[in-house]
Amino acid sequence: MRPILLFLLLALPVASADGKLPLKPLPKGKVAMVIQPHHDDHTTDYGMGGLIARFVDEGYDVYYVRASNDEKDGPHGYPRNDMVNYREAVAAAKVLGMKKVISLNWRNDYMNPIPLNELRNQIILLIRKYKPDVVIGHNPWEHYQKNPDHRNVGRAMAEAWWMAGLDNVLPEHKLLGMEPHQAWYLYGKARLDWGLGQRPNIAVELNAEQVRRKQTAYETHRNVYANPASARAYKAALARENLHVPEWENIDDQTAAVMMEEWHMDWISRQRGAQAGVRYAEDYYFLDEFDYLPGLQDYLAREVKRR
Amino acid sequence: MFLLSALGIAAAQQPVVLVVTADAPDYVLAAGGTIAGMAATGAAVHLVRVTNDEKDSWKLSPEETIRRATEESLAAAKILGVRDVHALGYRGYDLGGVSFTEIRDRLIFLIRHYKPTVMFIPNPYTEFDRVVDRFYTGRAAEDAWRAAALENYQPPYADAGMRPHLTPELYYYAQPHDPYRREPESTATFVPQPKFVDIAAQLDRKIRAAQAFSTSNENMARRLAERLASTGRTLPLLATVNDGSIAKLVEENVRGLAAVNAKETPHRAAEEFRYAGVEFRIPRKYRSAR
Repeated sequence: MRPILLFLLLALPVASADGKLPLKPLPKGKVAMVIQPHHDDHTTDYGMGGLIARFVDEGYDVYYVRASNDEKDGPHGYPRNDMVNYREAVAAAKVLGMKKVISLNWRNDYMNPIPLNELRNQIILLIRKYKPDVVIGHNPWEHYQKNPDHRNVGRAMAEAWWMAGLDNVLPEHKLLGMEPHQAWYLYGKARLDWGLGQRPNIAVELNAEQVRRKQTAYETHRNVYANPASARAYKAALARENLHVPEWENIDDQTAAVMMEEWHMDWISRQRGAQAGVRYAEDYYFLDEFDYLPGLQDYLAREVKRR
Repeated sequence: MFLLSALGIAAAQQPVVLVVTADAPDYVLAAGGTIAGMAATGAAVHLVRVTNDEKDSWKLSPEETIRRATEESLAAAKILGVRDVHALGYRGYDLGGVSFTEIRDRLIFLIRHYKPTVMFIPNPYTEFDRVVDRFYTGRAAEDAWRAAALENYQPPYADAGMRPHLTPELYYYAQPHDPYRREPESTATFVPQPKFVDIAAQLDRKIRAAQAFSTSNENMARRLAERLASTGRTLPLLATVNDGSIAKLVEENVRGLAAVNAKETPHRAAEEFRYAGVEFRIPRKYRSAR
């Protein structure tokens, strides 16, 4: 057999035998922490509002860490964008049922040259304070990620989520009574509209109510989405092709914009659901609690017992 | 042959192996069997340990952790047949704050000094390995491998008598975290390809070398036991965590790694790499027998 064919056969599949992405129940726990650079990253179409809503529905307290100040996202200029985007992030978090938004306020889209260990150490402090079982964020190994904020927050998170559990990491935190604490599960998402961002290994099923909250949370970011200007732009583009949307006749641009975003969210949630054989889903690259020990996977699966 | 000579490749000499590791146990777990096999057949093996491993312990101070990790690193190297260990001394798990070019240039120094015929470096393209030190070290080592061969990198080294050196064989190593690690690159030439090495004859030696890291192994075992206990589970082996149970857990880990790497290969115990050797960098038609 030619080596290249052999290697193709050896490529390890992630999908189950029937070709469907495996549905993964949420891990047992109490706290989840979403660590993202921007005001809207917890609600975008390629992640993770549905997952957050489901964690909340299953009893988790969920916190949102926004690493940047979002000064460049929107039409108002730096300081006003910062204020408006923060307000909308808080409102969107409330729609999803999250407890709190914590802003680190690094300068938006200037995160490439920042001291990564400093950002990581901020996240470690928050992990020790809030004690998440689960961390959710951009897949740090994501491909075609053009945004420097996404890349660097993902990488800082990749170290912080487990290093927060080590005694010799920032021992001064003990002065505040904060003990080492490790999060054991990581959900990574990737931006798929820029290329093959990641190949997910699990799907998380959503119900219709969770999709609805995901839609609403997304639309809450009116500074950048679901505003009349976006509907006008789409209508103009369609008009140039002699096309129109019947549902948009006799409604204002604001309502049309919201409708458009709801269609998109419904569509993408169904697409992800179809991958897993359910109505609605989101997909992720999931790192399980003992994935860091690849040599012990089979042994632990065989030998670990319930008490 | 002229081309090989021009590249600084001596065809018949005894291999000289330079191993770059981020944290002390990394190279043992991912490549220890292959390296031990080379040492056993006469290769001179040198190790560069980039970090000081100060955080990889259970309830020990950084200072004590560094002291123990240094001793254990030397003991493990001796078991595998490594001749000497150069410690660069960077703080463990903090390489994200260290200049990439600083690490690279120190590695260039050692490459030009030892003139290796084979290098082992952490694979920086491995995904889903949470220890990011391996990524930073791999990136710097990969660039050092390239730049060590180029005249205009580090003129002071040339002034000190060290000539550019191209290492003809390069092994990228990693533990099998990445489910896509065996996918071929887009072409079979000039890029690293998957390579599997039978380590059955070296497995016991690899286990003993991995067991030499008592400090980090205790950290692994106690952290695992604590996690299981806090979630209502138990691993009978770790009902009592002591030297014996830790050593057994390490043995299971090394045997497990060898089994995962051997899956779908003819081997019983293996290590797997991305490998760039002469055959990948020099098209066959330009190579000639001696």
